[in-house]
Amino acid sequence: MSDRLVLEEITHRYGREVALDGVSLAIEEGELVTLLGPSGCGKTTLLRIVAGFVRPSEGRVLLEGRDVTRAAPYRRPVNMVFQRSTLFPHLDVFENVAFGLRIAGVPRGEVGGRVADALALVRLHGFERRRAHELSGGQLQRVALARALVNRPKVLLLDEPLSALDLKIRLEMEAELRRVHRETGATFVYVTHDQREALALSDRIVVINEGRVEQIGTPDEIYRAPASVFAARFVGDANVIPVEVVGADGASVTVVAGDLRLAIRRPDGLGRGPAWLVVRPQLVRLAQNGDAGVPGVVRDLAFRGTGFSYRVDVPGLPDPVKAEMSAESAPPVDVGSDVRVSWDPAACRLLPWEPGDG
Amino acid sequence: MDARRRSPFTAAVTLVALVFLFLPLVLVVLFSFHKTGGLSFPFKGFSLRWYRDTFGSFEFREALKNSAVVAVCVSVATLVLGTLAAYGISRTTSRLRGPIGLLFFLPITLPGLFIGIAMLVAFRRVELQLSLVTVAIAHFVYVFPFFLLIAKATLDRLDPALEEAAADLGASPFRVFRKVTLPQIWPILVGATSLAFALSFDEFIITFFVIGSDSTLPMYIWSSLRRTIDPSINVISTMLMLITLLLWVLAFVFTLRAGRGRARAVEPILGGEEV
Repeated sequence: MSDRLVLEEITHRYGREVALDGVSLAIEEGELVTLLGPSGCGKTTLLRIVAGFVRPSEGRVLLEGRDVTRAAPYRRPVNMVFQRSTLFPHLDVFENVAFGLRIAGVPRGEVGGRVADALALVRLHGFERRRAHELSGGQLQRVALARALVNRPKVLLLDEPLSALDLKIRLEMEAELRRVHRETGATFVYVTHDQREALALSDRIVVINEGRVEQIGTPDEIYRAPASVFAARFVGDANVIPVEVVGADGASVTVVAGDLRLAIRRPDGLGRGPAWLVVRPQLVRLAQNGDAGVPGVVRDLAFRGTGFSYRVDVPGLPDPVKAEMSAESAPPVDVGSDVRVSWDPAACRLLPWEPGDG
Repeated sequence: MDARRRSPFTAAVTLVALVFLFLPLVLVVLFSFHKTGGLSFPFKGFSLRWYRDTFGSFEFREALKNSAVVAVCVSVATLVLGTLAAYGISRTTSRLRGPIGLLFFLPITLPGLFIGIAMLVAFRRVELQLSLVTVAIAHFVYVFPFFLLIAKATLDRLDPALEEAAADLGASPFRVFRKVTLPQIWPILVGATSLAFALSFDEFIITFFVIGSDSTLPMYIWSSLRRTIDPSINVISTMLMLITLLLWVLAFVFTLRAGRGRARAVEPILGGEEV
């Protein structure tokens, strides 16, 4: 596998405001990579830099090794699916999809077949003569997908393409995107602020915050081993607990938070002093009897379909501990009940203290 | 139903207002068909003699031709330059976008009298012989901001993402304009061009200052009025009204056609104008 798209030290400023700060990234051929971050984090600017709509203040964009940083959008072999529908209202579906082929001067005889293939790929066969106003939101984005893919772009850019759709259609479209990605083997760069979408779709996720890359990894890596408090909080739900590292013993360290005292596998380069402990709510155990863990009181309970979501007040901890228990494994615990809270020390993660993260 | 709407008083006032507005028009048209040379009641019967007379007149045909030539030149120049200017102003990211746009539109507020005098002084200054050419230039100056206003409002309302999408699909800026922008705005441009034609065709005040020895239709009417007063004036006025009306209707139809919820740029102007 070779690098299809490489971003080198991309920095971009709007006036004095820094939108992107030294972002470097290599995307392999055939990968589906999402740029994930809150709104205003710079992820869309990064995508627009790849598309050519924005010229970065510093840094380089390499497409198959060729520097395209200063190339105009229409000279780049990348195509984009926009957030809102951008179907040309004066053209029908067929002509919309054929647009790029006609511009590129693809022989007339070939256009029909390629458009038909592209529409079949997004399951819109038979919609050739429809206009934009005769299509639903999901169909519009399928046409946009076909219109981009028909040109066989080196990289397909998707700028929050599902954000305007209803939840049900969005889930369907996620499955469609995964299938289209599998069937075409194309390279996708997908921008989203929806961590659930990113986890569901990606080969790799790039977590971006305030113009910087926080972490790059597979969804599994980022979920299990977040590299920063931001990544832990933004991807999936997490308990982020301030702790004090009090002692080290070979491969493990002892941390203290309130009355809680835990031995944890020692992460690299972490000494004594304050740190963050990250525990996923699914890994927290609540027990109504026994003496494992620390005592707490259930403050809130919500049914989530697959299970129950709890918030438990634990003396000595600043925030309630979030816990998720499957409906089958245990009967619901009433609000106000005394419980024992525990988790597997091996499953949690210790992160260095960053003062701004509190 | 709203009680106020049924009030006989409102109905009466409306009727009076409509009569006030349209009676003069009706009378002008009616007396263009008069059998005799009289321009007031009693009406003595219908005849087409004044139409025959008018069209038989060499001066009239010359004036009609001149008006048409000037209006065609003015509207073609306005269409081309106005569209380019509107596109430029609408798409530029320059900080001067606002001020420049304003400077282009400002002439709309100038009185015709002022434009006429200013153009006359300017032509004198550059020693340009007064002729139909100077008329066309002056008309262009007068008509251009109206066209620009409509064209820019339309362009401003287009979704810029459509043009980005076209560029993304490989279209150069020129092809983006031709394949995506123009197909969306051409009905408005046709409408605005009709408007430019109409404004030029019946323009009098500015023309009066810069015409020289030629004649246009409004000038011909004016000079005829000073000589004799007979129904041929009504004939010319009727024709002028019909042509202008036709162009306004054309402008309106094309704008509405393009409208359907989007860009109805001519409406505010049409709505405030009485033909």
